[in-house]
Amino acid sequence: MAMAALRREGRRFLLSPVSYNTSGAARSAIPSDEFGSIGARSISTQVVRNRMKSVKNIQKITKAMKMVAASKLRAVQVRTENSRGFWQPFTALLGDTPSVDVKKNVIVSITSDKGLCGGINSQSVRVSKALYKLTSGPEKETKYVILGEKGKVQMVRDSKNSIEMNITEVQKNPLNYTQVSVLADDILKNVEYDALRIVYNKFHSVVSFIPTISTILSPEAVEKESEAGGKLGELDNYEIEGGETKAEVLQNLTEFQFSCVLFNAVLENGCSELGARMSAMDSSSRNAGEMLDRLTLTYNRTRQASITTELTEIISGASALTG
Amino acid sequence: MASTTAAVPFWRAAGMTYITYSNICASLVRGCLKDPHRSEAAAREKVHFAISKWANGKPEKPSIRSDLLEQ
Repeated sequence: MAMAALRREGRRFLLSPVSYNTSGAARSAIPSDEFGSIGARSISTQVVRNRMKSVKNIQKITKAMKMVAASKLRAVQVRTENSRGFWQPFTALLGDTPSVDVKKNVIVSITSDKGLCGGINSQSVRVSKALYKLTSGPEKETKYVILGEKGKVQMVRDSKNSIEMNITEVQKNPLNYTQVSVLADDILKNVEYDALRIVYNKFHSVVSFIPTISTILSPEAVEKESEAGGKLGELDNYEIEGGETKAEVLQNLTEFQFSCVLFNAVLENGCSELGARMSAMDSSSRNAGEMLDRLTLTYNRTRQASITTELTEIISGASALTG
Repeated sequence: MASTTAAVPFWRAAGMTYITYSNICASLVRGCLKDPHRSEAAAREKVHFAISKWANGKPEKPSIRSDLLEQ
């Protein structure tokens, strides 16, 4: 409360006619030389009025974007929550082993194609880079597969030599499993891997997203890990029906697991993107509103000042005549 | 059961992954639906994305995988 009062005081001080040239809102917008000297009539109200108009338009746009994101979010959220049933059985069967140490790592980082959605893209890029550092070492190879335009732009800057491939325009149609599985198929055919690590933002609520890593092991790596025991060691307890060998079953299983986990990851990230965009647009509309308030104040004060000056001049002129 | 096990080498030998194989099967099942459901399910089959491989730190020309181009 006290802070707010203080801030208001500060703003009033900034906007007081004594210091037009440093007024917070107007300084960035209007070249200071357009204001004349203190209290003079040459202060241009036109510039402030134009600025107010443009801020108002921006506010309208951000409000509309927030509405769009909010209405899309609800449908996507339901689908995302349903899609969690895809990976849960796999985790129950194979476990999740993020700490596994293998030679060929492929980091699949999922980002969005469009911007204006807060920090979710830089967050998954940051996690991917940290993962790269963790998994790289002598005789090891780590590659990136990047989904989304924004992640690519950030990765190109310092790790373009490790990028294996990138995929865009995934979200042109509403996401569906067929699309993601074709995509997963293309990734599997084009990279060699011992472990695939998918980095994405898991949707938690409209304002919170958790950067998450899902690990998918190649059939050989699963074999190796299951010999070492642990959760994967229990695989030998299962009886395999039909004429397939364990290796074949494991290969089918890995491929299917990858497409399912990728489907969920893409949905989760899309959902987080919408949530992040919603809150980002909400705060920018609020900021635009605050800016508009400040500009209105400046505008009115300037107008009042010029009226007062004119009145003073008329009165003093009249009194000089009569006196 | 016997037909399933016999089919395994088939699609694997043809260079398909399990994903491709299951997608073809899923597409067939969708084709068996009757009409109001069928067009609904067909909408869930649309594929569209652009993929580009990188060599020496440079992206190659993106190839677009899209239903419109495949048909």
